[in-house]
Amino acid sequence: MDIDPSKILVRYNVQKEKAQTPEEMAAEMYPSAEPARTIAVAIFEGEEDDVVEALEKALASGADPVKLIDDTLMPGMDIVTKLYDQGVIFLPNVMMSADAMLEGIDLCKEKAGTSAKAKGKIVCHVAEGDVHDIGKTIVAALLRAAGYDVVDLGRDVPVDEVIAAVKKENPMMLTGTALMTTTMYAFKEINDRLLESGIKIPFQCGGGAVNQDFVVTYELGVYGEEAADAAKMADAILSGKGLAQLKEHFHKH
Amino acid sequence: MVKRYTSQEYKAADDMIFGKSIYPVKSELGLEVGAGYVTAEVNYAPRPEAGVSKEKLVSEYRRLTTDIMARAVQIGFPAVSLETEHVEQMTNNPSWGGEIAHVQKTILEEYHEEYGIKCGLRHTPGDIRENRDLLALIGPKYDTLMESFEAVAEGGADFLSIETMGGKEVLDYAILRNDIPGLVYSIGCLGSTDMTMIWQDIRKIADKKGRIAAGDTDCAQANTAMFIAGGLLDKNLAHTIAIIARVIAGARTLAGYEAGAQGPGKDCGYENTIVKSITGCPISQEGKTSTCAHADVMGNLVMQCCDLWSNESVEYHGEFGGTSVQCWSETLNYDAALLNVATETGNAKLLRDMLVLSDKYRDPQGYILAYDNAYKIGSAIVKDGNDLYLRSKNAALACVDILNAADSKKLVMSKFEKNALANAKAALDSMTDEADNFMSDSLEKYKAEVAVFRPDDNYKF
Ligand code: B12
Repeated sequence: MDIDPSKILVRYNVQKEKAQTPEEMAAEMYPSAEPARTIAVAIFEGEEDDVVEALEKALASGADPVKLIDDTLMPGMDIVTKLYDQGVIFLPNVMMSADAMLEGIDLCKEKAGTSAKAKGKIVCHVAEGDVHDIGKTIVAALLRAAGYDVVDLGRDVPVDEVIAAVKKENPMMLTGTALMTTTMYAFKEINDRLLESGIKIPFQCGGGAVNQDFVVTYELGVYGEEAADAAKMADAILSGKGLAQLKEHFHKH
Repeated sequence: MVKRYTSQEYKAADDMIFGKSIYPVKSELGLEVGAGYVTAEVNYAPRPEAGVSKEKLVSEYRRLTTDIMARAVQIGFPAVSLETEHVEQMTNNPSWGGEIAHVQKTILEEYHEEYGIKCGLRHTPGDIRENRDLLALIGPKYDTLMESFEAVAEGGADFLSIETMGGKEVLDYAILRNDIPGLVYSIGCLGSTDMTMIWQDIRKIADKKGRIAAGDTDCAQANTAMFIAGGLLDKNLAHTIAIIARVIAGARTLAGYEAGAQGPGKDCGYENTIVKSITGCPISQEGKTSTCAHADVMGNLVMQCCDLWSNESVEYHGEFGGTSVQCWSETLNYDAALLNVATETGNAKLLRDMLVLSDKYRDPQGYILAYDNAYKIGSAIVKDGNDLYLRSKNAALACVDILNAADSKKLVMSKFEKNALANAKAALDSMTDEADNFMSDSLEKYKAEVAVFRPDDNYKF
């Protein structure tokens, strides 16, 4: 027994797929100047050795390491993130590109001494009692890929520890991930403790169990559906958006 | 040393069917699993508030167990099985899990005595073998876990299960990087090594207490891959990679049976059809009637060879139709009744094939898990059944070959899925045939790349 499946199901992913390949689309976005081009290609392909090689060559011929970060590594990664947002490439490609870019950043930072600085600092964590950390790992990787300095507290993080880290690191934003209905209530407590201490940073929350209706019940909470929202929200904060505007922009209903 | 499978118990794919297995198992209260009929396996989770004390938890389980049994007799179902997946407190305090098993079993006994309804009870302690950031597979937590198994077996649980986590620390890293050798290593080698250890001990406890060492699932790895892959429009992992993780999980879940498990295998092991083709042991499955817990792309297909039919998990609370456990157990039982009618009227294979065709071409994952292809994966696993590495790699290769040979007008794959498949094939083709080399190279590689990988503390290689 067999069937022509076209009447019982539709593979919308195939239907929606772009005619161009990701490689072709990336090629249209590569910068023309060198070494930016070579580095962008190496980042897209996730080839960390090629990234390092091109950077070392540039550094040897006198390039400024901080400018290399801003003018070659960040724009190179930006292409990858854009294609991911458009649904052209998938997460593992982003992860491999981010690994390659971060290797390049490490090298440039080493050369630059203290003068290189990130776009901003963000603390990430998984709620107390919850070990589901893959979503958080993705969030942290995408934030790093977008040029943020991430302090990753890991999983099953006690409320006290989150508060202490925020006080110590003074981040522009805090993220929380919870996959269990039993663990997400820690977010409310974190919110209250932050407010008690007079800290009013956006606290972006997501993960399987969390939904917008829950997050709006505490003042600092902003709900994020997808990992990529974290970087978009950080960018929005940098562009001057306050809590109310963030909620307006990122909340769906 | 455990004896590995080097041949399949089923001699033909077409012999595999729901409700029947070659080696049925029997619970204390008359439930035979895999002996010719399918039974509902009802799953539930306590409300968060109930976790605050032992008394509250016990009372929650008492209520929900009574609810399920009351509904079962009201609608006239001949049999029902229950699964209690522990919340962490119940495993970490073995006496809690033990008492809950006892309370539940007592209720089942009352219903069995009064109505003759056949009942089974599975307990699944949580795999508590980890510290905050690191796995702790061997050591004091292992001992607590074994005490928990003793306690639930003593309390009356018929079927002992667990969802083990061996290899997860490497999988979490590899799966986000399309790292195929990493999947073979984490699932096929590390996971199987851990399972070989733990299932020998679970079997000893089962034998001592007169219970059944039921089975495991690769939830921690293959389901993680399946969930990251998500729906058709998600962009986090190619579904062709997710199914490669799944077939390797077939080789891994098998290790539990080699070390003493007898079935029914755990519901969320979507690899179970592959495993059943090899062991002939009964399996539980979940799909269209576990939408309360998660979405998948093969809800009908997975019924194809199930012996128990499960809803995975639902929080205990009120619905319009009764409590949640009553609603879902009723749906499960009606599903089981339909399957059993097909068996009684000689239409079982017809219904099986209809279930399969409703999802076989929906997604590469369903295509491979369809019993005919699952059987072929089983054959690939037993070919080098004595070599944990090779059999995992063989499973992955067979999966890639079956997908590549599929009728492209029926199984329509996106360029992206095909591309991922081609890359996976290239990665597999360049892997060694020597297990020793692979194991030592991987050990070095992942020790360097994965900070939380502590092989010496976790695996008895
Ligand atoms: C994989 C998995 C596991 C793995 C986890 C591996 C790991 N390293 O994370 C393992 C096997 C260890 C596991 C263990 C358990 N699990 Co589990 N698990 C799952 C499963 C199958 C998938 C979760 C997953 O990884 N999804 C993929 C990731 C990528 O999704 P995500 O985290 O939601 O992240 C995405 C977005 O939400 C977003 N996001 C996440 N965080 C943030 C943050 C911000 C700021 C933003 C913007 C976005 C964002 O980005 C991601 C991508 O877009 C779910 C099933 C389900 N329906 O979800 C059950 C599930 C979560 N588990 C469950 C349970 C019960 C358990 C256990 C208690 C089982 C047991 N009896 O032992 C233990 C928990 C132990 C503990 N104390 O935590 C239940 C929870 C029920 C509940 N109470 O709510 C679920 C729902 C299964 C079920 N239906 O019953 N589990």
